[in-house]
Order: sequence, then structure tokens, then C-alpha cells
Amino acid sequence: MKLHHKGYLLTELSQAHQLWDDTLITQTLLAYNESGAYRENTLRIALDELAAAGLINRVEQKLETNADNKTILRFKYQLSDFGRTRMLDTGLLQNA
Amino acid sequence: MTTDSALSQALHQHYARNQKWGFTWALWTAVLWGAWYVPGTALWSEHPYVDIAADQQSLRLTATAVMTWIHAITVFIFLLIWNGVLGKVKDYGRTMARFSKISKWYALASLCGGPLAIFGSYMAMGFVGPVFAAISSLFYPVIGAIIAKLWYQEKISKRAAIGMCIIIFGGMIIYGPSLFGEMDASNPNAWLGYLGGIMSAIGWGSEGAVAGRAMDVSDPDVGIHCRFSFEILFWGMLILPALGLWTDLPVKALIIDTLTHGKAMLWIVLAAACHAYCYTAFYKSFSLIGVGRGEAIGNLYAVFALIFIAAFTLQIPQWYFILGLLLTVLGSFVMFSESAESVAQLRDHHSGVHE
Repeated sequence: MKLHHKGYLLTELSQAHQLWDDTLITQTLLAYNESGAYRENTLRIALDELAAAGLINRVEQKLETNADNKTILRFKYQLSDFGRTRMLDTGLLQNA
Repeated sequence: MTTDSALSQALHQHYARNQKWGFTWALWTAVLWGAWYVPGTALWSEHPYVDIAADQQSLRLTATAVMTWIHAITVFIFLLIWNGVLGKVKDYGRTMARFSKISKWYALASLCGGPLAIFGSYMAMGFVGPVFAAISSLFYPVIGAIIAKLWYQEKISKRAAIGMCIIIFGGMIIYGPSLFGEMDASNPNAWLGYLGGIMSAIGWGSEGAVAGRAMDVSDPDVGIHCRFSFEILFWGMLILPALGLWTDLPVKALIIDTLTHGKAMLWIVLAAACHAYCYTAFYKSFSLIGVGRGEAIGNLYAVFALIFIAAFTLQIPQWYFILGLLLTVLGSFVMFSESAESVAQLRDHHSGVHE
């Protein structure tokens, strides 16, 4: 069985050093065979919640203009030490 | 505007939007929680519950267990509709499946919130009255904030703590005087209501902190669905069968009577609709503004409960209601006036948030 969405986001971040949100979201949508603005926003909210809880850190941010000429705030995320600990606690990461 | 100032403005707007949504969800919790007291209390006036005499302690407690179980099943159905519309049913299955590491925390939260808090609150309503039931739960944010602080270092700023105290004080002013009218010294079973009140405060306070342990790695909409799934199992697979097997209490008859009486079911459905979405809003607020703040703003239910009870009973609130209302609103503004950047990082771990 696939991981739940937040579990998947954390696992992807644990495997990459740092990831921009759009890369992470594209990977997740592809993995779950999902698409659309609603799904994308749901994942952005999940990333905001993970950052608020201190499991992931925002290490960089930038403003980008999208295809609709709308300015979008982008974040680059990194798993925090606390996030790694919580992943171990919840079985999302195994001890090496 | 320079690129740097445009970026810092966009960042501030981003954190402020999350903070606003967190407080909005917490406010919805308060509105729907307040509304829940109307059908929750009215249920006791319907058959089969109205037929149970006040001195039939064990029968009243069994009836409370039955109504809490049917209520939990109805909440589950409302949550299934919610997650169906949001497209999160699959994520619910994936989260439930990880029992040993994740959903077990929702199971524990359901014990705190169900058999302890909701059952306790129905006991307080049934053995003392709705005013006592509402006031006794007012202290739950303090319990929730202390557990979250000690257990996983949730940050409680001085401003958040002051706001929390003002809201609790306001709630006490709203309900305190009416409490004397509701207390009946001649009722020998009133102690069960008082016990229920304490259970509801401890239950709801600890539920937020326990659920927060699983919610940081899972979705709040899914989390509340898991929590009610476990509550249904606790009542339906353990407590009610145990009562039916080892006592001569009419558990089966109470279930059938409730299900076959339209008015009782109508109040249960209304109570469950309020509670399902009140709880959804409650859990969603935790992930954006933290357990302590979410529970404290949720405490505004004291104001809404009185407004709803007044609207349905046509009893105009006393003057001290206005004073309590002003204090609770002031407390909410004190909490909301915290900087968005401070609320963006809920725990004492490095965040990378630019303050």
C-alpha cells in the first residue's frame, strides 16, 4: 500500500538534500496519478503544515511568475533533524 | 519595489494567510461546538431517554453510552461525505493501515475525546445541566497547552497565554452566576454530573495534544476520520457488548428504541452534523496555529452555546453575558495580534522562518 500524502512528502525530502516545492509537488502528483490545481493546493497546504510543525525547514524562497502571469511564492524545503526523528518515531524512516 | 522587499512582503502575506486560516478554523470550532449543546441537551427530552428516572444511575449511564455510540457512527458518516468531497478517502485508508506507528495515536485520542470527554459532557448535561456541562469544559485548553508544551515543546508565547487566560475568565463570567441556579443540592446523583464535567475538561485537553502527535505526519481531515473510526470500535466492540453480556442493562433495547424514534434520531443527526464539522475545524486549526491556540479560540464556544440556547429557549441572557462576551472577544484579539511569523513556527525547533 502506498504511503499517505504527508508520509510520501517527508520520505521524498529525506532522500533528497533539498527540494523546491514545485518539484516535490510534481513528483507526488505523478506518484499518486493525480492532477489539477486543487490537488496541487492540497499538497501546498500539507507542506505549510509540515513546516509549521517544524518537521521541514524553508531554506530558500523566491518569487516566480507563472503561465497566467501571476506572481507565486516558491519555497525550497529541507527535512529538519526534528522531522527525521519524527519519521523514525512513526516508522516512515528505518534506523540505518 | 525592490525584489527583496517584494519577497519579504510576499512572505509576510503567506504567513498571515496561514495564521488567518488557522484562527478561522478555530472560530468555526467554537460556533459549531456552541450549536451542539442545543441538540445534545434536547436529546435527553426524547424517548427513550426522557423515560429514565433521575435516580436510575446505571440505566442513565448506559443510555449515555448508547447515545454517544450512535452519535459517533453518525459523525463518521458526515466525515465520510466530507472526505469523499475532498478526495481524501484513499488517504484515510492509507493512514488507518499504519496503526502501530501513526493511527494508534488517533485511537488514543478517541479514548480521550469519546469515552472521557463526550461521554463526560453528556453525563454533565444529563445529571446537572447544559450550563454546568459548558462551563466545566472551559479549562481544557490549559490542560492541552501544558501537555503539548511538556510533551513536544509546542511554543506558547506570553501573548498567547494571556489571551487564553482572558478567554477562560470571560467564559466563567458568562456561566458562573447561572451555575448556582442549575445546581440542585437535593439531587443525590449530581456528583456523576460533576465527575462528567471533570472528565470532559481532561478528555478534550488531552485529546488535542495526543492527536497532535499523529497529525504532524498525517492529514487533519483524515486524522479526525480515523479518530471517530476508533471511537465507534471502542463503544461498539468493547464497552457496549461488555455491558450487554455482564449486566442485565437493556443495551439492545436502548439501541433499537433510539434508532426507531424519529425525534431522538433527528437530534442525534443534528448534534452529529455540528460535531463532525466542529471537530474537523478543530483538528485543522491545530496544524496551522497549534493545539494551545486552537483550543483557546475553540473555547469561544461558551459564547455561542449561550447564544444558541437563548435563541431556542427564548431566554434573554443576563447583563454579565455582555461582560463575558467582551472579555472572550478581547482574549481572542490578544491571541490573534501575535505576529504571523511567530505562529508560522509552532514548536521550539529551528524553522528557517524569517522573522
